Amino acid sequence: MTRDVAIVAFAQAPLDQAPGQTETLMLLPTITDALNTVGLTRRDVDFTCSGSADYLTGGTFTFVQMLEAAGAWPPISESHVEMDGAWALYEAWVRLQHGDVDVALVFSSGRASASASLRETLTFQLDPYYLAPIGADYVSLAALQGQAVLERTGRTDKDLAQIVVQRRHDAIANPHAAVSGDVSVDELLRNDYVVEPLRTHDVGPAVDGAAAVVLVAGERARQICDRPAWIAGLDHRVDPHYPGVRDLAQSKSAALAAARAGVGNGGVEVAELCAVCTPEELVLTEALGLGDAVTINPSGGALVANPVMVTGLVRIGEAFRQVHDHGRQRVLGHASSGPCLQQNLVCVLEARD
Amino acid sequence: MTDPVQFMSHHTAVEYSLPEPSRLGVHFAVQLGRGKIIGHRCPQCAKVYVPPRGYCPLCVVETTDADEVSIADRGTITTFSVITPLQYPGQQETEDYVQATLLLDGSDTTLMVTGLEGIAIADVRTGLRVEAVWAPDGERGAAAVGVRGMGLGDAVKGWRPTGEPDLPREQLAEHVL
Repeated sequence: MTRDVAIVAFAQAPLDQAPGQTETLMLLPTITDALNTVGLTRRDVDFTCSGSADYLTGGTFTFVQMLEAAGAWPPISESHVEMDGAWALYEAWVRLQHGDVDVALVFSSGRASASASLRETLTFQLDPYYLAPIGADYVSLAALQGQAVLERTGRTDKDLAQIVVQRRHDAIANPHAAVSGDVSVDELLRNDYVVEPLRTHDVGPAVDGAAAVVLVAGERARQICDRPAWIAGLDHRVDPHYPGVRDLAQSKSAALAAARAGVGNGGVEVAELCAVCTPEELVLTEALGLGDAVTINPSGGALVANPVMVTGLVRIGEAFRQVHDHGRQRVLGHASSGPCLQQNLVCVLEARD
Repeated sequence: MTDPVQFMSHHTAVEYSLPEPSRLGVHFAVQLGRGKIIGHRCPQCAKVYVPPRGYCPLCVVETTDADEVSIADRGTITTFSVITPLQYPGQQETEDYVQATLLLDGSDTTLMVTGLEGIAIADVRTGLRVEAVWAPDGERGAAAVGVRGMGLGDAVKGWRPTGEPDLPREQLAEHVL
């Protein structure tokens, strides 16, 4: 039996940041915004959990500086994951299950622009014996996955481009999209390959970003938020470490996480998927059992902006908006970590009367 | 029959781009070039941060140009270490030297400084009053102000005792780091 916990607020830092802006100063107003929308202050927060990656920032223990944005004096109870903020949200949800505290703040940030080559920097996520030495970067691995998906499904680069056409159109209304607008499949297919079969449009543009989510347990969520998004199911699973032993055209970990989060128990109306490359969206749609009636990525998803270490948390935040702002009843937010959807987190949110 | 692989060399490097300096960082460096040290005074708790960070981490509010204050180029050593440099390739130092924590007058934050002049190591002490020895006008390299904004770059060459009476340790208890 789990304790009822709801997302009551979500805020995301503007894409357009001043030159030289620190992650702390990207986070500070973002956290304030999230808390303000539900009339809370930093003093009301019982537990704080953040997500970021030192390799991305280029320094050790850099998350400590970012904690200043949360207000760490007098001393607070906090934790950190060296992952996308979606996993910080998971830890915060677990912490609220203890039952002794009610309010949790989750935030994450990442500066993709700090790396001279993001693809090279992210190879340090890989196993250091077999993969890191050959420099298998995340786009190259995603291309292997893309090839496997195209072979298995019989789809073509036109199908991949069609996904991008839809996402960029949907993103027109999203101020956090790095790329949006109406384009045609033919136009897209004139783009160069990054790594075949992935063209430039098949890879979500990596950007700097920050986001914050507020979780509140029990009746208090109803008191401070007119339409909280209750966490009906939350689970994360990981595939084998080495991509070579997996069938890259499928995602067992995503399917398992979806089953354990109860996606099938009533379905969902909307799914925000953390698909950084187009083939991932095909893999996830199948693994999560999302039928044609499900609206995928109304925000445009990670294909229109990939704020590294924040993208997954943003998906859950966008799913929250679907419930809170757009009147949806039951939605799904998904996050992934590692190459080729290695690890997957599924969060089912629902409105309750 | 070849021997099984037991060791493998893997040389690796990660490259980062230094962030563009922030507007506040540039402003601080330009003022240093003019021989002036500035800070930000928190509008809520009145604590003064040098260099200015653009926010107060205690009150968690942003600070702006309106909160700018001038800081004296003199202050008090709150604690220090005597460093004995080990010799290794690239080591520049050969003699013992002092690395000190300095609280500038008018500031609530401390600076890590080296280059104490005109005083024997054995005479360095908590409470010692010192003043800046500025680099000559035109040689105060603004670019050397760290990207994390933690020091005074090479605008100040070192620090020398003022001859004023020491400050009592009790006044410095909040500023040892």
